[in-house]
Amino acid sequence: MTTHHPDLSTLMSYSAGSLPDAIATVVAAHLSVCSHCRQQVQEAEQVGISLLEELVPATMSDHAKDDILALLDETEQVPIISREEQYVPNDADIPAPFRPLLGYYLDELHWRYMAPGLKQFVLPASGSNLRLLKIAPGTCMPSHGHTGSELTMVLRGSYSDELGRFCAGDVADLDPDVQHQPVADTGEHCICLIATDAPLRFNGLVPRLLQPFFQL
Amino acid sequence: MDSENSHSDTPDKLKQSLVDLGRYRDKQTFAILYDFFAPRLKRHLMTKGAHGEMAEELVQETMLSVWRHCKSYDPRKSTASTWIFRIARNLWIDRLRKEKADLMTPLDNYPESHFEPAMAEFDSEKIKSALKSLPQQQAQLVYKVYYEGKSHREISEDMDMPLGSVKSGLRLAFNKLRSQAGELK
Repeated sequence: MTTHHPDLSTLMSYSAGSLPDAIATVVAAHLSVCSHCRQQVQEAEQVGISLLEELVPATMSDHAKDDILALLDETEQVPIISREEQYVPNDADIPAPFRPLLGYYLDELHWRYMAPGLKQFVLPASGSNLRLLKIAPGTCMPSHGHTGSELTMVLRGSYSDELGRFCAGDVADLDPDVQHQPVADTGEHCICLIATDAPLRFNGLVPRLLQPFFQL
Repeated sequence: MDSENSHSDTPDKLKQSLVDLGRYRDKQTFAILYDFFAPRLKRHLMTKGAHGEMAEELVQETMLSVWRHCKSYDPRKSTASTWIFRIARNLWIDRLRKEKADLMTPLDNYPESHFEPAMAEFDSEKIKSALKSLPQQQAQLVYKVYYEGKSHREISEDMDMPLGSVKSGLRLAFNKLRSQAGELK
């Protein structure tokens, strides 16, 4: 079972739909394997909905209701088909929320060389805010801090840093003032999914790619 | 009491209306739900940053989705409000992604199957009064997350607070709300 979870404040914002897209996606990946956090999210959602019931209603335009009533007859009622009902191979190791985009297997992705012992795969069109990182056994990342919100989930293998040991399913939800130096600590590659909050300034491609690891 | 027209808006009545809608596909029932939710959804979307016209478009899309998918509504899993606001949240996120021509669109951050069945409901009256008793700064944090849809980074800029304090303030607020509302129905 997982021992490191997203911060409660992250789960609250997730339930409200207020997280940056890339970070919300990592939360969704963690929720797909963590019933403890699913429960937290559900509680946070209920808090949010109670608050939304307090909203002062806005006025709809005069024709809005007639318009929609007129559409009902030609709108079929259909059940929602859950993704869970579709066929998924037993050994799929890409987290459920990513499968429509990435398929089922981490080993089939086009990993790109980044530095010795380090490969990455940047998710298309995530504004480079969402990437997978593959760290060779024993590779030690440079010590680094974080300039904004960053959420990391381990998908395979494990790493250790000043905060503890992070295994598959675990999430590191780091405060920006935390300095740490992760080391892939088993005989297998450690694969992590990392989301960052979009910085307001665009700093050029190379600094952005390295930003999670070097304070630039 | 029946002369009060707000009588049809209690959470239990709304839940029943949504279940009935799935069963009988009745336009009167749809109209009841529409009258209650459409103006609230519109306000909600506008607070999150949608301009009036877009907000109304999304309200219509949400309510049409309610009609289309109401057979899938399971009253044991969520209140009517939770189910309907969830649809609106997802449509809003889809819309934001489309405006950025974002290829992440096929990713579903909020799959229905994530949600656990049969969790006891909080008493929403207690949550509302608990919110009023929060220290002002914490209440403001909660407001920004749930009403304005702001990210932690945006809140930290708006309120000129370190990101770490935004997060710890939200944690404190949530634990207070939860413990005060924790007297489950």
